[in-house]
Amino acid sequence: MSASSSQALEYLELLPRQTHTKLYEQPSTVLAIFRCMLPHLAKSLVMAMLYMPSSLSAQDLDTWFRPTARSDKDKSISILEQLHIVVLKQDASRQNSYELSKGFARALRQALEGSGSHRSFGVPSSETDPDKVTVAFLDEFAQGQWENILFYMVGSTVGLSSSNALGRDVGEGTKALLRLGEFVKSTHARVSITRAGFTFVLQETSAQVWSLLIVYLKHADQLGMSETDVLSFLFMLGSLELGQDYTISTLSATQLQMLEDLYAFGIIYRSNEKAKTFYPTRLAVTLTSDAGMLSTSSTLRNKAISNEVSHRSAPNTGFIIVETNYRLYAYTDSLLQISILSLFTKLTTRFPNLVSGKLTKESITRAVKLGISSAQILSYLTSHAHPQMQKNNPYLPPTVMDQIRLWEYEGERVETTNGFLMKDFPSDAEYRDLAAYAESLGVLIWRNDARRMCFVDRVDQISSYLKKKSQK
Amino acid sequence: MNAIDGTDRQIKTDNSPPPSLLAIVLDTNPHAWAHLSSTLPLRNALANILVFINAHLASGNANEVVVIAAHSHRAVFLYPTPKTPTPRNNSNGNGNGAANGDVDMNETGAGSMEDGGPKDVSISDNPNKYRPFAVVESAILQNFAALLDATTPAHLAATPTTLIGGALSLALSYIAKSTLLRSPLDSVVDNPLSALADSETLHTKRESLTSRILIVSVSGDLANQYIPVMNSIFAAQRKRIPIDILKLAGDTVLLQQASDATGGVYMKPDRPEGLLQYLMMAFLPDTTARRSLVMPSAGGVDFRAACFCHRNVVDIGYVCSVCLSIFCTSDLPSNLCLTCGSYLSLRSAQTNPPALVPRKKKKKKRAGGADSTTPGGSTPAGSGTPMHS
Amino acid sequence: MADSDYEFEGDNGSDDEYVAAKSKSNPRPPPTGKKRAEEPPRKLHAWETDRSRTVAKELPAVAEADDGSIQRSVQEREEERKRKRLRKDTKPFQRGIIRHVVLVLDLSESMMEKDMRPNRFITMIKYTQEYVREFFEQNPISQMSVLGMHDGLCIRVSELSGNPAEHIAAIQDLRTPRNPEGVPKEPKGSPSLQNALELARATIYHTPSHGTREVILVFGSLLSLDPGDIHQTIKACVRDRIRVSVVGMGARLRICQEIVSRTNAGDESEYVVATDQESLRELLLATTTPPVVRSDQAATTASSDSAAALMMMGFPSRVIEDVPTMCACHGILTTGGYRCSRCSAKVCSLPITCPSCQLTLLLSTHLARSYHHLFPLRNWVAVSWNRALEQGSRECVGCLSAFPEKPTTKGDVSKNEAGDAQKENASLDKTARATGEQQADKDDSQDQKASESSRYECRACESHFCVDCDIFCHMVLHNCPGCLSKLNPVPEAHSNGDAGMTG
Repeated sequence: MSASSSQALEYLELLPRQTHTKLYEQPSTVLAIFRCMLPHLAKSLVMAMLYMPSSLSAQDLDTWFRPTARSDKDKSISILEQLHIVVLKQDASRQNSYELSKGFARALRQALEGSGSHRSFGVPSSETDPDKVTVAFLDEFAQGQWENILFYMVGSTVGLSSSNALGRDVGEGTKALLRLGEFVKSTHARVSITRAGFTFVLQETSAQVWSLLIVYLKHADQLGMSETDVLSFLFMLGSLELGQDYTISTLSATQLQMLEDLYAFGIIYRSNEKAKTFYPTRLAVTLTSDAGMLSTSSTLRNKAISNEVSHRSAPNTGFIIVETNYRLYAYTDSLLQISILSLFTKLTTRFPNLVSGKLTKESITRAVKLGISSAQILSYLTSHAHPQMQKNNPYLPPTVMDQIRLWEYEGERVETTNGFLMKDFPSDAEYRDLAAYAESLGVLIWRNDARRMCFVDRVDQISSYLKKKSQK
Repeated sequence: MNAIDGTDRQIKTDNSPPPSLLAIVLDTNPHAWAHLSSTLPLRNALANILVFINAHLASGNANEVVVIAAHSHRAVFLYPTPKTPTPRNNSNGNGNGAANGDVDMNETGAGSMEDGGPKDVSISDNPNKYRPFAVVESAILQNFAALLDATTPAHLAATPTTLIGGALSLALSYIAKSTLLRSPLDSVVDNPLSALADSETLHTKRESLTSRILIVSVSGDLANQYIPVMNSIFAAQRKRIPIDILKLAGDTVLLQQASDATGGVYMKPDRPEGLLQYLMMAFLPDTTARRSLVMPSAGGVDFRAACFCHRNVVDIGYVCSVCLSIFCTSDLPSNLCLTCGSYLSLRSAQTNPPALVPRKKKKKKRAGGADSTTPGGSTPAGSGTPMHS
Repeated sequence: MADSDYEFEGDNGSDDEYVAAKSKSNPRPPPTGKKRAEEPPRKLHAWETDRSRTVAKELPAVAEADDGSIQRSVQEREEERKRKRLRKDTKPFQRGIIRHVVLVLDLSESMMEKDMRPNRFITMIKYTQEYVREFFEQNPISQMSVLGMHDGLCIRVSELSGNPAEHIAAIQDLRTPRNPEGVPKEPKGSPSLQNALELARATIYHTPSHGTREVILVFGSLLSLDPGDIHQTIKACVRDRIRVSVVGMGARLRICQEIVSRTNAGDESEYVVATDQESLRELLLATTTPPVVRSDQAATTASSDSAAALMMMGFPSRVIEDVPTMCACHGILTTGGYRCSRCSAKVCSLPITCPSCQLTLLLSTHLARSYHHLFPLRNWVAVSWNRALEQGSRECVGCLSAFPEKPTTKGDVSKNEAGDAQKENASLDKTARATGEQQADKDDSQDQKASESSRYECRACESHFCVDCDIFCHMVLHNCPGCLSKLNPVPEAHSNGDAGMTG
């Protein structure tokens, strides 16, 4: 599970059961959730239960897992339960057993077998488009649209916005959305980026897309759209084929409404507003898969070649070299990348395809003051590390990583976490049991055995656990 | 709280499991499937395996699959589709590159019509199927049909066995190449860092692709391919590629040994009908997931050797020192090895080498061999060196 | 697998052998025996080979490939470099599968030199551990003993045995002792070649004659402090059929040269000098391939028993116990193990010589591990454009990666001429294939060049492979995927060595 989809997962987890049930009607949605939202072990679990005639008893489940992997198992089960994919049943003899929720199982089977008539994987346009666009064009379009948005956000801070045409033609809808998501705030018609905005900018593209879409989803109701419809459509987009045009005739009203917005984000392309077809761009098809690695290209006969290209180029996306002496070299001529770098780097020289600079205490503390965390900087540097850097493990020089953190820590010595304090346990055994459970879920932040208190950042799982226990 | 902990430097560098490549070797021996047809027809088995492949592809975004058919007379890739060579008479084309190009273009065009064209239509027509699944499925079905069409009665009459060895070799070389392409370090061997002799810097190779092989086997005896299969097993062992065996019929010790040596899963279901559930439960988890699961294994594996002369299973055998053939008797005709024909003396087979009992340092170790090799008497004291005085 | 196979099979290919500077000029010459008069061609010194890659050498080579782009020629060089790892001598030799090896480590003060990082000693300790592992991987039914030289003495590091774990632990102990009181050995004093050879000889002189007796010396010093006349020792070694290989460091020594050439019937290729640590590792690993059995051996040894023998071996089955019982090899309580087929003593691991009845115990898989030395995969040949077009191969048979198309550049005219020449070559090839072995032999033993079309052809099944599969199949797999994917692709005579034995 990558960073991009974990956001989406968090969002999904918070949805109520009804929404889940409705979502699971579409095989494409179910498949997408299965493919990118579930942790690896959970996938194995779901698949093992999918064609199982009876339910899987909790005992059998325990024997299937190695004793060392207990916490992993608990984590997987808890996510599955939260998404209402797996239901815990108790039969007459008080034996616990797990079962896949009916709708999910049916839809996933349909997706794997290709059965049913749900047409949820997109209906390609039947008539050939006279002016069919190429994949290269789609890539260019998507990249342009997306960089516009980013530039709109970053530009003002770096002071480049006036000098460049980029970032101007961002639609009003998008601007409004960015404000709603609190990525930017506008004071006196001047746009300035917020803390959340920096987080946004420094993410990988796929994570950015999801962040924006989640804001979109959260405000779908206000725009009079059905949340489920929006989600299904997004998941469907993720399972479409790049370079293929799809008909809009099978879309619902909400989805038709969405087309325009998605066009503005660069997620889909339409030749004009009246067109009966749309093309998903790379941003769309990577919604549910990372970096388009899946070699699904219809050009089967070119498979070997395209494979080679994608294999070779996939890890080569990085362009930043950081030396142990804090010098930084970035092989880029993109204004956007340069301006992002300049957020936390003291850039000194610029050449046609290279900028160089230095990570200094001033530059980092300035970034921290703007609301950028050291973790964000490091993850940005890591994810854009030059292939030469990728030969190291870890990619970045440890001295630099530590120093960046230290610089940040100088400013902030206290960390806050919102959560719940659990105390006043009736017995020590009960306390220990709960603390251990919380720890295995990964929600335990702090514990004090002497005073029988512990602190968790998520409580819903714990409370259901307590309820279950009290029933016994 | 603000301690700098060196251990968490790995800032969430992708905790997602590495992509997994599944190579399926499908034993398509017509004889064996004919036997099975009452309980599990090939058509059903194939359908189940296709669902299994889809499940594998769905389990990881970058997961890949390669399917190889081990048929009675050939072992071929079912997916990805291999391109048939376009042999050309050398006499006409020499020197005019343009003409070559034309021919090639036509050939590829025809090829795509035949393997890509109709399929595209059929896939486009089905909006009920995730496209990558559809691509893989139709390719497998088409290639499989082509393979069956190309099988003549003569082929079937020629041999009852299956070319598992060839299919395994194909799978291994495909995996080796994919791993090579995926590895971020272009040439591991030449990385100067690896030459650093200190054991601390023992070169942590990042796993960029985990692979495994699944053999769905229905036929029995593989004795005629003993060496190729063994070589494949050792290669898999060296590359840490588990070989999983799903044995639907027949029985081969060789495949048991394969899964045992490579740490793969071995299953021989009593009733082959529940094929899909077996596949999903036991064979779907990849190497990453297997670390936290209890997987079924072969259990007791028979490692005893069969002699080359009578094919008896032997506990104590006689081995030719030249070619390592195993015989059940030391009584060979005129003491010649049946396999390589070298003259074999039996003396050393029965005599035991002298046991080397560690002695006190200054004792002579050598009883015989007193000769002129005597070094001078000036050996430094305390030497453990044997010398003659 | 009959002897006759060797006769008309002509060329069988390479297997695991790592590049070695030693194979630079002469592949191990045919066993001409005592005739030292015919000096083999002078061996290139380390600094003369292109292993010492310098910029000065690199540059002209790149420039030479003028017709194609530079990138193309770089790629070719890369392939060439990869293929160099394949063995060049493909003469059919009987190989000594059952080896008795004494590994002698130099622990003298010269091992403190820092020309290898962090120093020679630590480098050697690390690589020899890897070497032992690889050695037993390749030679599962062989025996090894490890000795060490320092202060003019020769000490025994580990006893002659077939258990790699023991040797590795013993070597590891030199640097970091397991028991807390132990003192890590510091290299000191001078080595004594004579003492080392004497002790090695004492270790293996009694071993059965069907196995080889080898001494492998890792020698970092430039001197030897001997108590007596080393030439007498050498003579004794020759008489006991002991073959000495030396992996030197720093410089070549006359005395090492003499030891090696006397004990190897005049062949000096077993004396190699490592120029850096990578080459040390490669040279060491090169000796894991079983050595060729010299045909003149019986004559020189004048011993009554022939080299080949029938050995009695036990193939025990695994026992699984619920209650721990004592094992015969270590005397500790273990659950499960293997039971000797003759005397029912329980041993922990295989292969092993039964501690109570001296029967060699192993699994059939251990024997199978050595088969690829006996039936090596023939080298594949580089494919010319003409041949490639003739076959029309478009992708590698093994991995389905696409081959490059023939470039149609302006250089075509000149290429065609070259092509014609190659065509002749190809036809020559064919006649050679038809008539017999000599040509094929020559083909195989010639330098493993990169192919202009990036294709490599197995001559048995005429499949084309890419360079990566070529390397993989010859170094790891030892199978030809092409041949095995067809039923009887060719008549036996052209087989690549895979066919034959059923087991």
